[in-house]
Amino acid sequence: MSAIPRRADIAVIGAGVAGLCTALFLARAGRTVAVLERGEAWGESSGANAGTLSLQVKRNEVLQVSRRAIELWRDFQERDGMEIGFARIGGLRVATSERELVNLRKSQGEQAALGVATEWYDGNRLRDFAPWLGPEVQAATYCDWDSMSVPLTAGHGLVMAVRAAGVTVATGAAVTAIARDGEGFCLQVGSEIVGAAQIVIAAGAWTGDVAQMLGVRLPVAADINMLTISEPAPRLFDRVVTHIGAILSLKQYPNGSVLIGGGWQGTGDLAQGTRRTDYLNLVHNLRVAMQVVPALRHLRMVRSWAGYEGVAADALPLFGALPGVPGAFVNACARGGYHQGPALGEQMAEMILGRKLSLDMRAFDPGRFAA
Amino acid sequence: MKDADLAIVGAGPAGMAAAAEAASLGLGVTVIDDNARAGGQYFRQPPAGFRHTGAMFLDKDRARGSVLAAALRHPAVAHWQDAVVWDMPEPGVLAVAAGEGSGRVRAKAILVATGAQDRPVPFPGWTLPGVVSAGGLQNLLKGQRVVPGRRAVVVGNGPLLLLIGANLVRAGVEVAAVVEAAPIWNRILPALASLARAPDMLALAIRYRAVLARAGVPVLAGWTVTGAKGDEAVTGCRVAPIDTQGRLDRARERSFDCDLLVAGFGLMPSLELPRLIGAELAYDRRRGGWTVKRDADFQCSVPNVHVAGDGAGIGGAEMALLEGRIAARAVARKLGKQVPADDDLRRAWAKRDAFRRGLEAIYAPPASFLDLMTEDTVVCRCEDVTVGDIAKRRSELAGSVTQVKATTRLSMGRCQGRNCLVTLAAMVAKDTGVDMATIPLPRPRPPLRPIPIGDLAFEDIPPPDIPADPHLPRKQRA
Amino acid sequence: MSRIDEGLERGTAFAFTLDGQKVEAYPGETIAAALLASGVRALRRTAKRQQPRSLYCGMGICWECLVTVDGAPSQRACMTEAKPGMRVETQKGVGR
Ligand SMILES: Cc1cc2nc3c(=O)[nH]c(=O)nc-3n(C[C@H](O)[C@H](O)[C@H](O)COP(=O)(O)OP(=O)(O)OC[C@H]3O[C@@H](n4cnc5c(N)ncnc54)[C@H](O)[C@@H]3O)c2cc1C
Ligand code: FES
Repeated sequence: MSAIPRRADIAVIGAGVAGLCTALFLARAGRTVAVLERGEAWGESSGANAGTLSLQVKRNEVLQVSRRAIELWRDFQERDGMEIGFARIGGLRVATSERELVNLRKSQGEQAALGVATEWYDGNRLRDFAPWLGPEVQAATYCDWDSMSVPLTAGHGLVMAVRAAGVTVATGAAVTAIARDGEGFCLQVGSEIVGAAQIVIAAGAWTGDVAQMLGVRLPVAADINMLTISEPAPRLFDRVVTHIGAILSLKQYPNGSVLIGGGWQGTGDLAQGTRRTDYLNLVHNLRVAMQVVPALRHLRMVRSWAGYEGVAADALPLFGALPGVPGAFVNACARGGYHQGPALGEQMAEMILGRKLSLDMRAFDPGRFAA
Repeated sequence: MKDADLAIVGAGPAGMAAAAEAASLGLGVTVIDDNARAGGQYFRQPPAGFRHTGAMFLDKDRARGSVLAAALRHPAVAHWQDAVVWDMPEPGVLAVAAGEGSGRVRAKAILVATGAQDRPVPFPGWTLPGVVSAGGLQNLLKGQRVVPGRRAVVVGNGPLLLLIGANLVRAGVEVAAVVEAAPIWNRILPALASLARAPDMLALAIRYRAVLARAGVPVLAGWTVTGAKGDEAVTGCRVAPIDTQGRLDRARERSFDCDLLVAGFGLMPSLELPRLIGAELAYDRRRGGWTVKRDADFQCSVPNVHVAGDGAGIGGAEMALLEGRIAARAVARKLGKQVPADDDLRRAWAKRDAFRRGLEAIYAPPASFLDLMTEDTVVCRCEDVTVGDIAKRRSELAGSVTQVKATTRLSMGRCQGRNCLVTLAAMVAKDTGVDMATIPLPRPRPPLRPIPIGDLAFEDIPPPDIPADPHLPRKQRA
Repeated sequence: MSRIDEGLERGTAFAFTLDGQKVEAYPGETIAAALLASGVRALRRTAKRQQPRSLYCGMGICWECLVTVDGAPSQRACMTEAKPGMRVETQKGVGR
């Protein structure tokens, strides 16, 4: 357990992407911030995820946030010098059946209406553009916003940047109880008490548990997503690849390893802290990957793992004031929340600082679940 | 999915002996091994293309090995060759990668007989071509009948060094020295009583020593390698005295020229599968570090999973043979077969066990070999991570092992940490002043070894259920 | 750097190539054994520091002996049998 601060303007619960980005923007605005993390910083979803920053796979509701997030990821790396492995390499979203073609067209239209243009590829144009795609891929949309980052590297980069901005990141610091203290809050961390004027619950899949400490019920479920990484190989493909029908995400890291995921489910139970890969789903995941990029069959897989992802019942972010508890905020459970982390952090900081938000975040208000 | 009464992982001494025993007791057995031919490391057989015209020193155990391997041709035994066990997705089920034949086997009991690997001990230059592990050299000699050098130095710790030195001499290699880290000469007398429990082994050891003496090979005991020299390949090495605390006396350093440096710092159990399934372990430095806790039938804490041979704790081939047989009998008994009493096997095992303790007392290694490393010594071979890289991250990250792994990429390569994690654990133990036994190794994740993704294309399995809206929360299989 | 011939007859020698140069091998030999027997030392160079590496564990677990075989990168020389006419290449980093 690292040293626990006694007081902060704002206590952030959880050192994943949501918590750290919130802390970063608050610190840049001059606030003293303490991030309280139960385990290791970046030790849960944010360290276990695929680092896909694909704009065109997002639901329409989060398209604006997701686009803003890509700008911020780029700034983190290019302006602020964080080592996060960000690369805007563009992405292909593929379709392998008639029905998927129809859905892809429809999605393309909706995204264009929301200001995100993608380009349609099929036939010979597709083969020329991406000769590494398998014959079963009939068409794909190309989105030049689509990007990637390397979560393992990004964690270190972001933690270092957040600390450099003056934030205390306390690890091994589980918050076990929260009480009101006048206008502010007292947080129990082990035998210590941390005082804060405001708090942000950014506890990922455990957000429901933390909200419960303040008597608020939030419907949070935990998915258990699987990922597989291959041995480093010569360059096979050079885009982020996703699938409109099956579940898939693919990218090849700069070192040559291919990361294969998309959200196939492992097995386990959040309450018991268990999680592992599911054999059949893992096989299916890799079969879809080989269908889309056949050369993958020659690579060896080196490691596969499963991580928790917190999801709200309607799969939209839980973002905003905690209903009925002035001074308490929630920033959690965005689907593709790694991608959106910087933008959600930026908006959360604006909200806490009492500024007018630059994006419309009303649809994500946790109050939508208030009974 | 295939079915078996007993699935055996590994076709070394323990696995082959268990297969023969189980088949003779009426069990249906599947043996899975990642080599083309049965034998494991000890009974490694030369390729089928080699014709034996007479016996020579490398043929000492070949006849026994062939008899054991022949048992795998018993009609009740299915021998799955070139096959890698890569997961145990549910109790009693093993996932196997074997090209087009890949799939799963469900067994009433599982015997893990995965043997051992060389303990990685990094020293400057240990990654140079020409620096070969003890096991690697034995495989080249026994399995391929090739010697990869003309002038050798054999360094490290443990009883294998004398054998390797003697083998190299008999293979016509000039052996400049055998360098043993333990002060073995002072320790023989007190251990003599236990060594005498296995007179056959004792006689062998004396023979190896005699071969070395006749060839005039110096055996430096209480000395260690401190570095390999060379740019493109090894051209020599430096050695220095080391005390039981692991402190070096660099003032007395000397060097040898060589084009082959055999480094064998003892063996450690390959227990990735037991670790994957959460079997309870115990730390026992003399038996190779982490070992598997077992009951009298060599069953580990996971029901119906037995672990025999070096894969549980280093004991050598003779012990492995006995453990394999005893474990197979225990499984047969549980499955309702008529099984003779084990008294004779267990007595023989007890003798080997006493001998092993004697050897361990003689060869007990120095407290650590960490002082051999310098700033630019590679710790993780796969990802080229040096002592300096680790030190930098550790000071930034206040010592967190997971973060060191994540940011240096140590242990993230193809060997999956087999050649670096124990070094990192030793570094952390030393820095933080805690016992190695309190630093658990991270739990392995499937695949247990890298396997071709293409192998997963072949098994006949039910189609997936793809959710209508993948954004909504999913259901996990129970 | 030699084969032990005592007590053993190997089959008929054949050739494969390493980086275009002929290497002799015998049926059943691994690529690593044939290369080491003919005096080859480094089999590859690492991606990060371009260090030379060669056979270390000899049993398929260290992945140090990687070579490119008939265009397929990262094959373990210690586990792969040499075959007549095989094109073996030493490998830089992940190969091509
Ligand atoms: C395998 C996988 C692949 C994924 N792929 C992608 C992808 O490619 N792109 C993408 O955008 N998203 C992806 N996601 C989703 C993404 O990882 C998450 O949306 C995102 O990381 C969530 O960040 P977070 O900060 O909310 O949660 P986390 O990173 O889980 O952080 C929450 C933190 O809160 C801590 N905490 C909980 N309770 C307490 C307490 N009481 N006291 C103190 N601390 C506490 C936890 O220990 C944890 O560290 C993936 C998820 C998984 C599992
Ligand atoms: S030498 Fe270790 S894998 Fe070939």
